[in-house]
Amino acid sequence: MAGMSRYILLFLWLLQGTLVLADEPFRTFTTAKGQSFTARLLSYEGQTFYLEGKDTKLYPVPYNQLSTADQVYLRKAAEELRIPIGDPRKISAEETMEDTPEPEPTEVSGSMEMDDEPRLMAPKKAKPKLRPGSFFSYRPVNLGQDPNLAVDLKSGGAPKPGEPIDFTSHVLPILEDRCTSCHNEPYEKNGRTIQPKAGLALNTYELVMKGNLDDTVVTAGDVEGSYLHEVLTLDEDDDMFMPPKGGPLTPEQIDIIKRWIGEGAKPKGGGAGVADASEGVSFHDHIFPILEERCFDCHGEPYVRSGRTIHPKAGLALDSYEAVLKGNLDGAIIDRGDHEESTLYVVITLDPDDSEIMPPKGDPLSPEEIELFKKWIDEGAKEYPSDVFEKPKEEKATVALTSVADRNVPLVDLLGKRLTKPSKTQIEAASKTGALVTTLSEKHSMIRAEFSEGPSLIDNNSVGALASVQNNISHLDLSRTKVTDSVMGNVRKMKNLTWLGLRNTEITDQAVKQLTDMQFLRYLNLSGTKVSDRAVNDLSKMKDLEEIYLWNSKVSEKGIESLRKALPDAKVIF
Amino acid sequence: MKSDLKNLDELSRREFVASAAKACLGVGLLPMAGSYIHTPAQAFQPGPRPAKARHLIYLYMSAGMSHMDTFAPNTDADKDSYQGPISPIPTSADGVFLSENLPETAKHMHNAAIIRTMMTSQGAHAQGTYLMHTSYQMRGTISHPTFGSWVAKMSGPINSTIPMNIAINGRIGSSGFLESKYGPLPIGNPNAGLANSKAADYLDQTRFDGRLAMAQKMNASFLGTYDQKQVRAYTDLYNDAVKLMRSEDLKAFDVASEPDSMKDLYGRTAFGQGCLLARRLVENKVRYIEVNRGGWDTHSNNFESVANNCADLDKGLSALLLDLEMRGLLQDTMIVLVSEFGRTPRINGGNGRDHWPYGFSAFLAGGGVKGGTVYGKMDKIGRNPVDGKFIDPASLNATIGYNMGLPLSDVQYSPSGRPFKVAHDGEPLMDVLNT
Repeated sequence: MAGMSRYILLFLWLLQGTLVLADEPFRTFTTAKGQSFTARLLSYEGQTFYLEGKDTKLYPVPYNQLSTADQVYLRKAAEELRIPIGDPRKISAEETMEDTPEPEPTEVSGSMEMDDEPRLMAPKKAKPKLRPGSFFSYRPVNLGQDPNLAVDLKSGGAPKPGEPIDFTSHVLPILEDRCTSCHNEPYEKNGRTIQPKAGLALNTYELVMKGNLDDTVVTAGDVEGSYLHEVLTLDEDDDMFMPPKGGPLTPEQIDIIKRWIGEGAKPKGGGAGVADASEGVSFHDHIFPILEERCFDCHGEPYVRSGRTIHPKAGLALDSYEAVLKGNLDGAIIDRGDHEESTLYVVITLDPDDSEIMPPKGDPLSPEEIELFKKWIDEGAKEYPSDVFEKPKEEKATVALTSVADRNVPLVDLLGKRLTKPSKTQIEAASKTGALVTTLSEKHSMIRAEFSEGPSLIDNNSVGALASVQNNISHLDLSRTKVTDSVMGNVRKMKNLTWLGLRNTEITDQAVKQLTDMQFLRYLNLSGTKVSDRAVNDLSKMKDLEEIYLWNSKVSEKGIESLRKALPDAKVIF
Repeated sequence: MKSDLKNLDELSRREFVASAAKACLGVGLLPMAGSYIHTPAQAFQPGPRPAKARHLIYLYMSAGMSHMDTFAPNTDADKDSYQGPISPIPTSADGVFLSENLPETAKHMHNAAIIRTMMTSQGAHAQGTYLMHTSYQMRGTISHPTFGSWVAKMSGPINSTIPMNIAINGRIGSSGFLESKYGPLPIGNPNAGLANSKAADYLDQTRFDGRLAMAQKMNASFLGTYDQKQVRAYTDLYNDAVKLMRSEDLKAFDVASEPDSMKDLYGRTAFGQGCLLARRLVENKVRYIEVNRGGWDTHSNNFESVANNCADLDKGLSALLLDLEMRGLLQDTMIVLVSEFGRTPRINGGNGRDHWPYGFSAFLAGGGVKGGTVYGKMDKIGRNPVDGKFIDPASLNATIGYNMGLPLSDVQYSPSGRPFKVAHDGEPLMDVLNT
């Protein structure tokens, strides 16, 4: 009977492979360098797409070697699941292999002498990714077993709130999915022994803890000191970033590994289990489960729905310890050691009729839960039970921007820290009307937008395209463009603007009037504009301005004099 | 003309011959232009740190400027055998003195810094110039890229129509092993603008388009048969050149459109007008502009020649600093003035000064520079630093590169696979920069 159902499954799988994944048509592809050729798309694996030429030859092509239009096509094909994953040469073989027992590996006679007998087992092939909700994504469960538990054990599903991490059911599936294709125990292939990359195998608990010749990769209880965690969280461009292919681990996966190390990197889950709250409240053991249950619907990580990115409400994510401490644009929500000053605590303890109460739907948090939050904040908002909370210094963790000058941190850096780096798509959208849009440095989240080419073609409408990154713009250069006063409607939306160049434009006093409440503006270039003495009053209100350029404008010497008097610390160039 | 030519130092003479060949043999810019122009594919890349300065105007005093008579007057030194008749004057920065030859520049000292302990290992013009421009010693086996080429390569264009590395009044060095498009585009005469970039008068728009279309028609069958990168690149080159010819950004090169008052402010000399052109190019967001001024090889009759040179230098430099500040561009633009080496503190028999690679000066101003700073002080014979340490050309370039946000540790490989860095192993001198 079991054998029967296996064949039905196999049949269905093949059916899906042939019916759902219809052949892609032939089309012309162009490489980034301008070469073009005709081919049709077969499949993809990681960043490599497999194209079949008219001559039926197979061409593996790296994604970034193709023109932008082709990349869009490929991305779409992959996103809409029109093409399968994997090398087409292997896919056909794999399909027939599906669910049939792996042939017993045979010992190769006369093999070299080795200290370690190679376990003759090749790394597991990546499983085909199934569409969520697909029939095949459901797994059979034995009668009498808790279905959720069974699925978790088999697939390495997310640990339940508050549940300690188990190596075998939570960590190992991640390693097997993403790491062991390179970091596999030595095995024989075509008569040669394949050693794990970097001498590091990650197939079992013992191997993970053993590390390699350099060092161990996991230090129990010390997340920061564990190399395994470090390489997963490096910058993606970093040479040591892991996994090197197929994109980074998901935040949940990294979180599982982090928690596993933090809990002491034990072979069997649990051990002590969740510590009692009376011995100290930690984010990991007590707070996260509550957040997960009550807050994630609105304050989870950003996700894509119908092609649009849905950001967490109020720009506040609560899906990780770092995110909770970071807060949002309005500032931090946790004041370590002081629950009354912590916005998070305030909003969950409001009157149930208050429109601001969180969570807005369902019952308010229970008194026990609220007590946990209070205790957690007062104890210093620790992440793990073992963390030691240091008393905050006199200076508060969140610094009001007015004290920036004393602290000698450039304003743009401070503003940048409160925002996330804009995505490539956002920057592309902002550049549509001819603007050169770049981040201030590689990792900075603030943006400089300028119209460097053909400024005479740039008008008010061109500035509108910058809306997609308006919060991130710190420098805006509209010099020599055809913008007029009404452009200020868009400029005013750039709340974090510090540097504004309006040199040699048709801007008048009306525009200056609209700038008076731009609180972070420090540099204002109005040279060669029609700004006159009537703007001096408005300029005088902007006490934080550091540099004002009015050379060649309509402002008189008298106007400059009164402006210099009103803003004694600013550099007024006339 | 002949006498002017004699006054030029050797390097400039050679440049002159090269330019003459270019003009007489008809080796114009246009067939080359394509290689300088950038496709949007290599767009501006932000560096590892926010750039304090986004543009660099590099004023190169070719042939060895006498530092004691310009930026490092030595008040302790004996007048007869060392300092000579030139006395120091106070500047807009407290406690900083310049030579009396630079009265106008002295008014801008609050925006500038001077390094007075520059040292180079090369005492000959060609080698010294090479080291100063590339941070590497001249070798028979390789041609190193100039600093401007590194800037062009590492940060990409801000304006994609105009080349981003421009050399006014003669070009020094090349893109070396980097792609030739990053090399300096030479402008021989700032008043003449970009040579060969205009269509002839008798060619109106329709006729010009007609000719282009004809050329394309004739090429079509060849292109069809040999559809290769190199072949297409040649067509692209034409397209890029035409794009530049018709671009409004080409006006950046047109110094003639400046009002007379502006031309007079900068001084109507090759250097003055070169500085004016440099300012126009900064307005059009060119990243690197070098203005070259020769005539500093004062082995004899030093004081008269230096005073003459300084009249021109002082006017052009001070006008540049003033003009950039008025327009609010100084904050974004770094100005560097340096020479391949200094000249001997001791005055020689012919009332001149000879080559002196120990302890000369570099002048830095504008965006990111800590205004009113002097780094280092030499003893009275100029042999050893009394204060501060020696700064070699690589470290000067590292300082500039740091200020411009370039990745100093980024390694580029020559075709033979050897590693090179933007400022060799120079360490940025943070004392002269705002951090």
